[in-house]
Amino acid sequence: MQAKKILELREISKNFGKMSALSSLSFSIKKGETVALVGPSGAGKTTLLNILANTVKPDKGSLLIDGIPSYKYTTGKQLSRKIGIIRQQFDLVGQLPVIHNVLAGRLGEWGFFKSLLSLILPQDKELAIKSLDRVGIPNKIYEKTSNLSGGEQQRVALARLLVQNPEIILADEPVSSLDPSRAEDILSMLIKLVKEENQTLIASLHSVEYAKRFFTRIIGLREGKICFDLPVEKITDADLFTLYNLEELK
Amino acid sequence: MRDLRHSIDLHKRTFLTLGLILVFFWSLLSVEWGTNLFHSGGGVTILQIAYGFFHPDLSPEILNLAITSSWTTLTYAVAGMTIAILIAFVFGIMASGVISAGKMTTLFSMSFFRGLLGFMRAIHELIWAWLFVAAIGLSPFAAILALAIPYGGTLGRIFADIINDVPKEPIEALKSSGASKLQALFYGYLPLAMGDMISYAMYRFECAIRSSAIMSFVGLGGLGYQIHLSLADLEYDEVWTFMFFLIGLVVIIDLWSNLLRKRLVE
Repeated sequence: MQAKKILELREISKNFGKMSALSSLSFSIKKGETVALVGPSGAGKTTLLNILANTVKPDKGSLLIDGIPSYKYTTGKQLSRKIGIIRQQFDLVGQLPVIHNVLAGRLGEWGFFKSLLSLILPQDKELAIKSLDRVGIPNKIYEKTSNLSGGEQQRVALARLLVQNPEIILADEPVSSLDPSRAEDILSMLIKLVKEENQTLIASLHSVEYAKRFFTRIIGLREGKICFDLPVEKITDADLFTLYNLEELK
Repeated sequence: MRDLRHSIDLHKRTFLTLGLILVFFWSLLSVEWGTNLFHSGGGVTILQIAYGFFHPDLSPEILNLAITSSWTTLTYAVAGMTIAILIAFVFGIMASGVISAGKMTTLFSMSFFRGLLGFMRAIHELIWAWLFVAAIGLSPFAAILALAIPYGGTLGRIFADIINDVPKEPIEALKSSGASKLQALFYGYLPLAMGDMISYAMYRFECAIRSSAIMSFVGLGGLGYQIHLSLADLEYDEVWTFMFFLIGLVVIIDLWSNLLRKRLVE
C-alpha cells in the first residue's frame, strides 16, 4: 500500500529583501519517512524548516500539511497535533523541574487552569514518567532542568516531543551543540522513537555522515534550490561533491 | 606640520583634562573665603555631630523608642512593598505585552501600561505622602499608599523589561508544542524571569526602608520622625542612635536578600 503524503510543497519561494532564500521548491514527504536536509551554510535549510513549521509564510507557493493547506491551521493547538519541533538544547526552560518541561508537550491539549494546576500538582504524571523512561533518564524527573548535561537536556526535549506526540517531527540541527558520541546517541534515539510511533522526521544536519547512517532519504539544498533528492542508498560521492564544492555552480 | 597635527590628535584628551583642572582652580577664586563660609556655630556643630557618632544615646527610653520606631518604619515598608509588588506584577505583565493578542492590542496595552507606570513613578514618594496626608490625614494608609504607588511604578517597569528580555528559544518551543499566550506566560516567561524579578524586588525593598524612614518626616511616625525631632532639639547622640537602627535594618535586609538570591541561583 502506498503511504499517504503527509507534507507536500508546491513551488515554495521565499525572499529576504533581495536575497532569495528558497526558489520554487516542490517535493513531498510520505508518512513514516526519515528525511535529512543537508547543504552548506546559508543554503536555506532553516528557512525551509520554518516554513514547514508554519512559523514563516512563503512568498509564493503552497504547503499542504496532511492534505490541508497550511494557512487553515490557524491555532497553535491544531498545528501542535501535526507538527512538533526540536532544536538545539536551548529549547527548555532551565529554571523549571524536568517534569514541567516534559509536560509542556501537553499544553496544546490542556486548558489554562489545568496547566496552571499542573505546576503545583503535576497532571498526567504517568505519561511524563513513561516518556522519561523511554529516553533513558527515569530518575531525573524532579531535578532542575538547567542542572542536567547537554545530552540529558536534549533527552528531556525528546521526552516532551513524546508527550506532545505530533505526526511530523521537524529537527533543526538537533545535535550540533553536542559532542560526537552524545550526538550519535541522541540521533539514534530520535530515529528509534520516530519509528516506534510511526512518525515522520525531517531534520537539518551539518554532518553528511550522520545523514547517511541514520536517515532513509537525503535532500541536498544549495542556494535555495534542491541539488539532489535521493534515497540514502543512491547517494554518490559525486552528489556530495557537487553540493559542497564552492566552485561548481558558478 | 602634519607631525604637530598628529601629536595634538593623540593628546587631545590630556589637553582637555588639563583644561578642566585649570577651570576648577579658577572657580575657587569666585568663592568668598571669609568667615561667612560656615555659620558661626558651624565648627562646634560638626564636632557635636562627630561626638554623637561615637557616643550614641543608649539609654533605655531612647532604645525603646528606636525599636518601636524601627518597627513602624519596617511595617510601612513591608506593607507598601507588598502592594507595590502586586501592582508591578499585574501592570508589568500588561506592559510587557506578552499576553495580548494581535498587533494593535499589544501596542495599546504596552503604551497604556508603560505610560501609567511612568506616571506613578514620576512623582516622588515624598510628594505622594504630602498628597495622601492632605487627603486622608496622618494615618498609616497615607504612608503605605505613598510608598506603594511610586515603587509599583518602578518595579512594574523593570518587571516588564525583564519579561521582554527572556531568551526567545524556549518561548518559541512552548508555542510550537501548542501553548497559548497565558500558558507560555506561566511555563516560560515567569520561570525564566522570576530570579531577576525577585532579586530586583529585594533591592527595591531595601530602598523602601530608607524611603519609609524619610517619609515619616512629614509626621507619619517611624525612625525618620524621631530623627527629625531629635535634630530639632540638637540631640545629636539620639540622632545617631536612630541612624544606627536605620542602617541595621538596611543591612539585615541586604543579608536576607543575599541568602534568598543564593538559593534561587542554585
